Parts: sequence; structure tokens; C-alpha cells
Amino acid sequence: MEKWARREDERLLSGKGRYVADIHVPGCLDAAFVRSKVAHGVLRAVDCTAARDVPGVVGAWSAADLPDLPPVPYTLLAGLSTEEAVAGREWSALVKDRVRYPGEALAVVLGEDRYRAEDGVAEVTATIDPLPAVVTPSAALKDSVRLFDGMSNVVLRGEAGEPVDPAVWEGAAAVVEATYRQQLLMPSPMECRTVLAVPDGDRLTVWSGHQMPHRLRRELAALLGWSADRIRVVVPDTGGAFGSKSAAFPEFVAVAHLAVKLGRPVRWIEDRLESMLVATRGRGQDQRVRLAADADGRLLAYELSIDADVGAYPHLGAGLPMQTAWMAAGAYTTPHVHATLRSVLTNTMVTYPYRGAGRPEAAIAIERTMDLLARRLGMDPVELRRRNFIPPDAFPYETPVGRVYDSGNYAAALDLALETLDHDRWRAEQARRRTDPDALPLGIGISCYVERSGGEAGGLHEFGSLQVTEDGRITARCGAAPSGQGHETVFPALVAKFLGVPEAQVRLIEGDTDEQPEGLGSFASRSAQVDGALFQHLANLLIEEARTRAAGLWELPVDQVAWTDGSVHTAHNGSALMDLGELVKHTGPLRIEDRFETGQAFPFGAHAAVTEVDPDLGLVNILQLVTVDDCGVILNPAVVRGQAYGSALQGIGQALYEGMQFDDDGVPHVASGFLDYLLPTFTEVPPIEAKDTHTPSPNSPLGAKGAGESGCIGTPAAIANAVADALPAVDPELLQMPLTPDRILRALRASTHEEDVR
Amino acid sequence: MKPAPFDYAVPRTVAEAVAALGDTRRKAQVVAGGQSLILEMHLERVRPELVVDINRIPELDGMRVEGDELRVGALVRHAAFEPPDAVPGPLGTLLAQAVVNIAHPPIRSRGTMAGSYGWAHPASEWCAIGVALDATVELAGPDGARSVAARDYFLGPFRTARLPQELITAVRLPLLGENTGVGFIEHRRTHFCFAQVAVGTTLTVDDGVISDVRIALVNSADRPLRARAAEDALRGSELGALPAGPRVRDEHPFARAGRIAAEHDAAPLPEPFADVDHKRRIIAVLVARTLLQAANDRRARLAARQGDHR
Repeated sequence: MEKWARREDERLLSGKGRYVADIHVPGCLDAAFVRSKVAHGVLRAVDCTAARDVPGVVGAWSAADLPDLPPVPYTLLAGLSTEEAVAGREWSALVKDRVRYPGEALAVVLGEDRYRAEDGVAEVTATIDPLPAVVTPSAALKDSVRLFDGMSNVVLRGEAGEPVDPAVWEGAAAVVEATYRQQLLMPSPMECRTVLAVPDGDRLTVWSGHQMPHRLRRELAALLGWSADRIRVVVPDTGGAFGSKSAAFPEFVAVAHLAVKLGRPVRWIEDRLESMLVATRGRGQDQRVRLAADADGRLLAYELSIDADVGAYPHLGAGLPMQTAWMAAGAYTTPHVHATLRSVLTNTMVTYPYRGAGRPEAAIAIERTMDLLARRLGMDPVELRRRNFIPPDAFPYETPVGRVYDSGNYAAALDLALETLDHDRWRAEQARRRTDPDALPLGIGISCYVERSGGEAGGLHEFGSLQVTEDGRITARCGAAPSGQGHETVFPALVAKFLGVPEAQVRLIEGDTDEQPEGLGSFASRSAQVDGALFQHLANLLIEEARTRAAGLWELPVDQVAWTDGSVHTAHNGSALMDLGELVKHTGPLRIEDRFETGQAFPFGAHAAVTEVDPDLGLVNILQLVTVDDCGVILNPAVVRGQAYGSALQGIGQALYEGMQFDDDGVPHVASGFLDYLLPTFTEVPPIEAKDTHTPSPNSPLGAKGAGESGCIGTPAAIANAVADALPAVDPELLQMPLTPDRILRALRASTHEEDVR
Repeated sequence: MKPAPFDYAVPRTVAEAVAALGDTRRKAQVVAGGQSLILEMHLERVRPELVVDINRIPELDGMRVEGDELRVGALVRHAAFEPPDAVPGPLGTLLAQAVVNIAHPPIRSRGTMAGSYGWAHPASEWCAIGVALDATVELAGPDGARSVAARDYFLGPFRTARLPQELITAVRLPLLGENTGVGFIEHRRTHFCFAQVAVGTTLTVDDGVISDVRIALVNSADRPLRARAAEDALRGSELGALPAGPRVRDEHPFARAGRIAAEHDAAPLPEPFADVDHKRRIIAVLVARTLLQAANDRRARLAARQGDHR
């Protein structure tokens, strides 16, 4: 199984990984937070007195006890949100007067260890006058319960494309409409959030499992009123992030503030229950769609309206639905596309990027609607898609909602998916089962997605360096911060290939702001595309520098010096030869630093699922799942395959199992952890065949596009469409995710009832 | 997710364990596999002042056949029932069918059958099977040992007839005869979570007539349940022809029994993703399907025996 081995696996899979919780700092205090049990209410009083008397408790503070505690920094990153959305809606690190989501921190207790800190938490008392809670956008939109007095719950309105002329709908042969609920999901990384702040002289070292160490440094510096160079952020091994670890969270603010205030190391290691209550959520959109076609199935217009649940404070999630709006057009040449959105505050922890981050919501909406339209037209859903795909020669293709797709061959991905699935065989089996009353109905669903990787304009660059020492070893540094993506395997191999040196000669340093002074981080499926290209750029600069130095040494014109396999030599006969280590010995330290920028890329793919539904029990059984993804040029097949597989499982999670449930008082039903919020486990994994096509991106020198989010984007609609296909008598609108047994049985009963009435 | 402070005792004999539990000034909990207790302690929903760890009491380990009963010691782990021949006859088949539904292998390697009886979760597979099969719970207390029939033992969710000073030493299950077939099906959202509903059945057929039937309903009330009304509707009737399955048509006697179990025997409590109506529907289907499974099991068992005789 050599092909599965990544450089980091020996460490990570044999218990030698070093995570924040493994870092031992003498005298370190553990933080535990007193959390609101109500979703919404007026905070009257917090009393920490008794907690301070608990043995082993070093201190306990409410907001009133820490008047200098700064608020949670907001972000307008990527231009997704606005100052107006944020103004007047401050997020305090500890609640001052109003609780706006369940679990919001009322006080912080520091103890000699987490046990003692939690014993202290148990002694803190708080008085909260509950207010009605709103946990869905539709409830919050009424503004009958306002999260901020005198201000609307709607914090942002957005739009992409132009309104569709009513004549287009009126003239269309077929118009379908639907509503979809994109349920709130939890990113659920294996390692929850972590932060360890260690004061050292006039500096602060912050260890954190984090995707954007430089942003964390910048935000912490701003809230402490320090210059950024006084803070070092280090990201050690990190057990997953999925988009959820890129902010300076309320707990981080409190920990950094107290570490500085006390001059002692303080850490917060979030436990699973806290994570389920107060870590960021993903998705959370109520959507309405309308899609029109002519009699031949040519798409005429598509409209998507989004009411997005952005949680209690207008953080990054407020602007996130713009990602959905910009990707509304999907893989099709629809001439008129219009997307509108309202970002609405609710009494939940904030929504935030979660693997896919706005694109799953767009892909699921258009792909489920394509199947509705196919049904209305009496057309094969495969054929309907083929007729409307943006053709390979139309790229770069600007959609009506403003994205410029770089490259694609959507039909090729669909063809491979159908061939891999053996689509015709399943269609025959479906027909057979429809004549057999004892057979379980079977359905086939496809989903053709387009997504975006690299980030948004202004954030498509990265910083890095290559350094050569006298022993010839090369150290590569960049601003990325992995949380399990395999950078140690991919990037040194890339650098070694560019320079023609053995892989073992190259090592990678990431996630340390002292080592790499500038950087953006790992998010938006950008590291392979942007950092990979950066290393190619740096390698070219290094080769040029080496040739220049050798030319100087040998007193030759530069064009007389050639580079082969990690060595410089004279071009005409190769008589003088010097490897990199020798060159450094003769010419001094060699370090190449630069910044490199790529364009946006648009990965795509076709996913196909076969499901069987037990109509008596409502159970969905995925018989086969095929994922065909195109992330351009693949840098490492094993890593890309891992991404395809893992993200497909999360896609299955959205389709069948996951979704926040709330009690009537707005408190999420997560008291028993993962017994309440169900992730697919090993037992739920269906046969998955992950394949790929390779359409290079012209926007990045390596031709690589992001690979990390494919399954979350492509898989859910394939499964939902397959279930709808298995149950042709059921109104597809009743089949909202997660497709739980009770939901399916209710949908079946509603349809039987309708038939009886007719 | 850290437990509140507690004391910890590690007795070496049943007598020592009973003595530790006899200290009524402190709220005590017995730990064997700890697969429920430790989580609840982490969540601080259970805050014992004393934890009595019985894992080092050799006399509590092991299971054996005594007469026509299987005696399962308090330290026998769930995983011990995974091999279908760990327990003789159809009972072994039923326990093997049920045990794979208890969470994942790591949990089954630690958790115990007696622990399930101690905890008395309404979704426990073992407890419902015990109630349906007339199991007996052996208890040791300060006043000596006593036995309680499973049907009298479960009083409600997490509530049993065990006194706080008593220790479960074993669970006894009657063996099943060779004319009996068994079935077990669990309905849940993922393999990890508790059953929304599960049903276990045994079906004894003599000369084509159903002479005995036992139906265990898991998570179908506030305690483990035996579907007596459904059983009564079947007992004494002809077995008749069996459907091909897995679905059982509405008019079949098994489906009828399922509806009786759902409407008359069960008293389900609502949960997220499973309201009362949903649970009743599932109970009806699972009862019918497990009866069919049991009938097929009996047929296969007879065929195998006849094959052996040839």
C-alpha cells in the first residue's frame, strides 16, 4: 500500500502527532467557560465569587470583571460582508448584557487543570431573563423578535445577475418552482478548537489549530493593541478544520487577554460538547428557485432567492451566501440567471465556512431543480443536462451571475460517471423492480457541479521562500497552514521535482509566523493551486539565482551556465559542475522569497448515486456512489483521492444524517453529543468509486485547481435526486435533507393520501 | 466534559463490593464496562460520590449453562455473544443477531449484558430480550442474594427493582428448544446511535401450529417490553405459507400481529426524528418482519437437522 503513504502519516497514524493539547508548558492554566443555557435573554447578573474559592481555581471573571476585555474581531474578508452589516452589532467575548445564542460565554474560569476549572464553572451563578428565541431565517425575518434592539435582523442584502424579464417566464414551455432547506450542519473536525497563549517577555506565542495563522496574529495584535511582530502564532498538527478554524473566536480573545493580564500561559482545549454547542455551523439557507425551459429542454432562465441563517452576530457568515449567489448558474448556459439573498440573524452560533462554503447550497439548488424540470418535460435528466452544458470550447465563460469559469469539460465528467456506474444496467434493474411488488424501489441520481477554488480577488496570492544551506538541504516555507491535507507530502515533492533534487533533500515549514512573516493560510481549496504555483515560481527564481552566482564564480556569462538536476554546470561541455550545497559554500547564504498570485479556478465534476428505499421503514440504502471530479492537473493522486472520499462522506452526511435540531426554546438538541447529531460512520460508508478527469486550469501555472471540497458540493444532490427517482409518486419538495426515515415515510404517506383524494 | 469529584473503590470479592455499596451515606455507582456510566459522568448528568469498580472480582466473570438456563456473569462483555455458537441452540442465534446492533466493536468489547440491566435504558436490546424470554436477574445485597424476574425488574427509564446497596451478579436466560426460530431487526439512523425501535422474536412451531411466540420490543415504551397482545393473537394459530419477504403484506397474520403490537402493546415516547406515530409504524413492520425471519430460521434449522440425520 505504498501509494497511500504520505510523509506525515507515519507520525499521525502512530500516535506521534503533536497537537496543541500535547504541548506541555509548565504552569499553564486551563480555561473553562460558563455557558448560557438559554438561547436568548437579558443577562442580569453573573456571580463568580464561589468559583474563586474552589481548590485549584486561579481566577474567575465575568464581562463586568474584565472591563478591558476586547470584543471579538469582525471580518470583511474577501469583501463578502459590509461595515453596515457589522455596525452596532458588537460581539462581546463574554456576554455583557444580552445572550444571543445558547452556550454564549458568560464567564471564564482558569484552573490548574481542566478538571478544576470545570469544578469552578459549576459554582458560577448567572441570572438571565429569557426572551423568545428565533432559530430559522423565516422566523427571524418577521422581526417580531429582534436580536439587537431597534435594528432589523436582516444584516445584509445581496444580489448577483439581473432580474429576469417576466416575459421569459410567460413564454417558457416549462417552468418549475421549488423550495429547499439547506440545513445547518456542524463541521465536526476530529480535534475541536484549541488555543494556547504563552507570554514570553514582551511577546506572546500563540499555539492554535488554525487555518490562517497570520490573520490570527493580526487580529490578536489589534485587540491587544500590540504591533504584529510581538505575536508569534504557531500551528502544530491539527486534526481537521473544514473551514471552521480561521477566526479569532470569543474564547481565543479571552485566553489571549488573560494570558497577558496574568503573565501566565493559558490554554483552552475545546471539548466535544462545547464544540457542538458553540463552534461555527455551516450551510443554513432557505431557498426558493424557479427554472424555465423551452419545449426542447433548453434552459431559459433561473432564479434563486436565499434567506440565509447567519447566526447571532454578523461575522464572516453574513457575506457567505454571496458565494451561493455567484455560483447559482451551475454548469449551464442559461442566458438569464438572477440570485438574491437576505442574511438574517438568528439565535444560533454563527454560520461560517464549512467545506464547500456556499457552493454546495448553489449546486444542490440547481441540480435538484434540473431533475424537477426533466420530470416536468418527460426528459431523461442526463439528456437535459447534456443539452445545456457550457461546451468545452466556450471557456473562459462568463456566467450571468458574474463568475468567469476558467476551463471545463462537463460532458466528459458526466460520461465517465455514467460509464463507471454502469448507468444502463441500473436503469434496467429499476424497470424490473417497478414490476415486482416485493422489490424495494430503486433510484438513480446525478449531480453535475461547478465550484470555485483559490479564493476571491485580493486573496489569491501567497507568500513563501526557498532556502538552501551548505549541506545542500532545501527548506521550503509558505503561508499555508494544513489541518490534514498532506502538505508535507505534496510540497517538498513538488519543489524537488522543479529543482531536480531527491525529495528527501527538501523539508517544509508552515504554520509559524516567525518562520514565514507573511501569509494567507489554507482555505477555499487554495493550497495546491496557489502555494503549489508559488513553489514553482520560487524554484525558477532559485535556479536563476544559482546560475547567476555560478556565472559570477566561474566568470562566465549567465547564458553559459546551465541547470540540471539540482546542479549548475557550464553549458557547452559540463566541465565545471557544482551542486547547490557547494554553491552556497562558495557564494554565501541563499534564500529566495516572493509572493505569487494565481487566478480563480473552477473545479467541476459529476456524481452519480444509486439508492434503494425501503418504503415500509423509510430507510435509504446507497447501493453505489460514483464521484468523478476534475481538479485540473493532479499533483498527488493519493491525496486527491483522499479528499474525494472524505468529502463524499460529508456529502452523504448532509444528504441523509446531519442537521441541527432545536428544542422549542431554541437550544440545539446536542446534549448527548454525536448520539444526537449523527455523522455517517464506517458502517454507513457505501461502495464509493472515485475517478477523475483532468482539464487544466489556464489561471494557474501548474494547471491545478482545488480538490478539497468536491464531495460536499456534488454528492448531496446526487443522493437526493436518486431518492426522488426511486419514489416517483412522491412530491420531491417533501424530500428535504437530511432524508431521514421518518421524513421519507411522511412524504410517502402525503403522496398516497393525495392519490386517494384524486 | 470532566466528571465531578468522586471516590473510587476496587473490591476483589462480591462481599467486598456489597459492603462498599452498603455505605448509604454516599451515592454510589457500579462500573463494569462503563460505556454508559462514564459518558454520563463526563456530561455530569450522573454525579456519583463513589464508583465501585467490579472488574477485579473473578467470581463475576464467565457464562455457563446451568440446567435449561444460561447464566451470564456480571463481567461478561457484549462481544462474548458475537459467535453464534457461544450459546447453544436458537438462543445463541438470537443473542448473536442482537449483539451486533450494540454500537461499535470497541463498545462491545467493554460493555456488559449485566451492565445493560443495571443501566436499564429503554433502547437496550438485552433488556427487552430478557423481558420477553422471562430472564432472571440475580442480585447480591447486605441481606444476601435474591432473584428478580425481568418482567418485575424494570420500572421505567433507568429505573429498576435493584436497591442501591445491591449488585447484579448475573443474568439468567432460558435456553430455547430446537423447534424454535428466532429473529431480530433494529431500526436506527446510523449504526452508532441507539435504536429508534428494535424487535426480537422467537417462534416455536409444533405440527404446523404456533405453540409459543415471544416478541421483545426495544425502545417502544419507557421500559423494555414484551408484546403480549400480539403474541396472544398468534399463539395457537397455524403457521401457514410464508411470504418471500422481506416485506410482509398487510393481510398476513404476521403483519396483523405487528399492528397489534404497535397499537396495543407499545407505548412509545417521542424523540427527534421519531415521533410516536413513526415509532408505531416501525414497530408494526419490524414485528412482522422478525416473525418472518424467525419462521425462516426455524425452517432452516429443521432442514439442517434433517440433513445431519441423513
